[in-house]
Amino acid sequence: MKNRLTILFLLLYLSLICTGCAIGKKEPAGDGKLSVCTSFYAMYDFASKIGGDKINILNMVPAGTEPHDWEPSASDIANLEKADIFIYNGIGMESWTDKVLSSLENKKLTAVQASSGISLLGGTDKGDPHIWLSPEKAKREMENIKNALSAKDPGNKNFYEENYKKYSAEFDALDGEFCSKLSPLPKKDIVVAHQAFGYLCADYGLNQIPIEGLSADSEPNPAKMAEIISIAKQKKIKVIFFEELVSPKVSETIAKAASAETKVLNPLEGLTDEQEAKGEDYFSLMRENLSMLEEALS
Amino acid sequence: MSIFEFEFMRRAFIVGFILALIVPCIGTIIVLKRLSMIGDALSHASLAGVAAGLILSINPVLGAAFACILAAFGIEAIRKKIPKFSEMSIAIIMSAGIGLAGVLSGFVKNTANFNSFLFGSIVAISDFEMYFVAGISLLVLLSFIVLYRELCYTAFDELSARLSGVPVKTVNSIFTVLTAVTVSVAARTVGALIVSSMMVVPVACSMQIGKSYRQTVLYSVMFAVIFTLSGLFISYYAGLKPGGTIVLTGVLCLLLIIIIKKAAGRTVRQ
Repeated sequence: MKNRLTILFLLLYLSLICTGCAIGKKEPAGDGKLSVCTSFYAMYDFASKIGGDKINILNMVPAGTEPHDWEPSASDIANLEKADIFIYNGIGMESWTDKVLSSLENKKLTAVQASSGISLLGGTDKGDPHIWLSPEKAKREMENIKNALSAKDPGNKNFYEENYKKYSAEFDALDGEFCSKLSPLPKKDIVVAHQAFGYLCADYGLNQIPIEGLSADSEPNPAKMAEIISIAKQKKIKVIFFEELVSPKVSETIAKAASAETKVLNPLEGLTDEQEAKGEDYFSLMRENLSMLEEALS
Repeated sequence: MSIFEFEFMRRAFIVGFILALIVPCIGTIIVLKRLSMIGDALSHASLAGVAAGLILSINPVLGAAFACILAAFGIEAIRKKIPKFSEMSIAIIMSAGIGLAGVLSGFVKNTANFNSFLFGSIVAISDFEMYFVAGISLLVLLSFIVLYRELCYTAFDELSARLSGVPVKTVNSIFTVLTAVTVSVAARTVGALIVSSMMVVPVACSMQIGKSYRQTVLYSVMFAVIFTLSGLFISYYAGLKPGGTIVLTGVLCLLLIIIIKKAAGRTVRQ
């Protein structure tokens, strides 16, 4: 009796696991299109702009989630097992990639580090990963993505090249706008929630004063907060920037002490659901960032 | 720049001081009831409350308080069912809370919002939170003083408390609500780490030297105040994270007390 019960129990348990697996499988349609997985929003946007309707694309970090502390679930791994290309930024932005990629059985998968070959701030290896926030470097990332798609799917090479040409012109235009609008402004210092805007600042002669280090969410230390408040008062900084995916409490405290206001500066690490619904993309959000910066620095 | 020139540091000291007064009062009874981990369990349960609040679009802080109260009563109920293993009730409610929060958070539309309700730091306290904490603390302190004798009896031995005419059920219920509300408000304001450690570490210290219930309560409040204030000073001047610094100051002090007590005991014996 006891044995039979155990067996029954095991069977039930197994069937539960199997249904779980079946639910986890969001099978990309077998229509011969390239199946692409991207790590977080900026990568997703670049890849879908190049690939258009010639690829099936899946973004792994969902809307409204901070990518620094995200880790893949079992169904994400299952999707990677079926993908042709996995695009990630690299330089420590997605700390899980090495471990996950080495554990995959998927032999046909090409992992593309979009940041490869781009010169980094602060050394080569453990530098600042947020390179997509510089339009010029973002263009290089898109180029890397384009090359990878073309190599994997030579049949659509011209399509990918056409798209890249179109968007590289847009990147140049964006770069021009940042240059012409920011260079005449008198102030050059911005206070930001985390150290994400190094490349953007380097491109346009700005100086970022980050509240937190390279990753976004942790408790600040009071000495650092005091220091930033003093700097903000001394330099008459009007705006303390925060990020939508991180709690604004610390930024608000600093802003209050320095009699400044808080505004959003988006590091494009993920969209909120509203932004996704409104159809925002890299270019529209970067332009929004630009107008926020103009307001803060004038 | 001096430490008190900043509003946020003044606020950290004020709120830290208030919480150091009331949390160990609750903590002493919690420890006597063998429920030391209740702070952790309730702060995890409050995650589920925040998620539920966001889904049902009620105020998440209210949701958290409500979930905490439910969880605290859940712990009480299980504790009564299995009195010999009361710590089990905490493990059960804690995992239920985490599980529920995990499942519910999948339905929360805006995760950014979720994060901002979980995050609390003693150096980033808003006006509203400060007054809220002060109000709750006053309530807790008053109830603690009014129910001082009853709470003491109930904590040590519920049976003989009932025999000597203490309305144990009512006292327990009031205490449960107070604990739940304190944890849900304080954890959101200064962070769960500070709250759950302040419930236990100062009490552990004062139990090393206190000779009566009254002494233990008074000493534990004293210790909590010392830990919080010195932790804040150290974290400011050494550039450390405040929550961790406060907790580690307490643990270090406990260690010192134990060592000194042992050494003193040895000299007395010699």
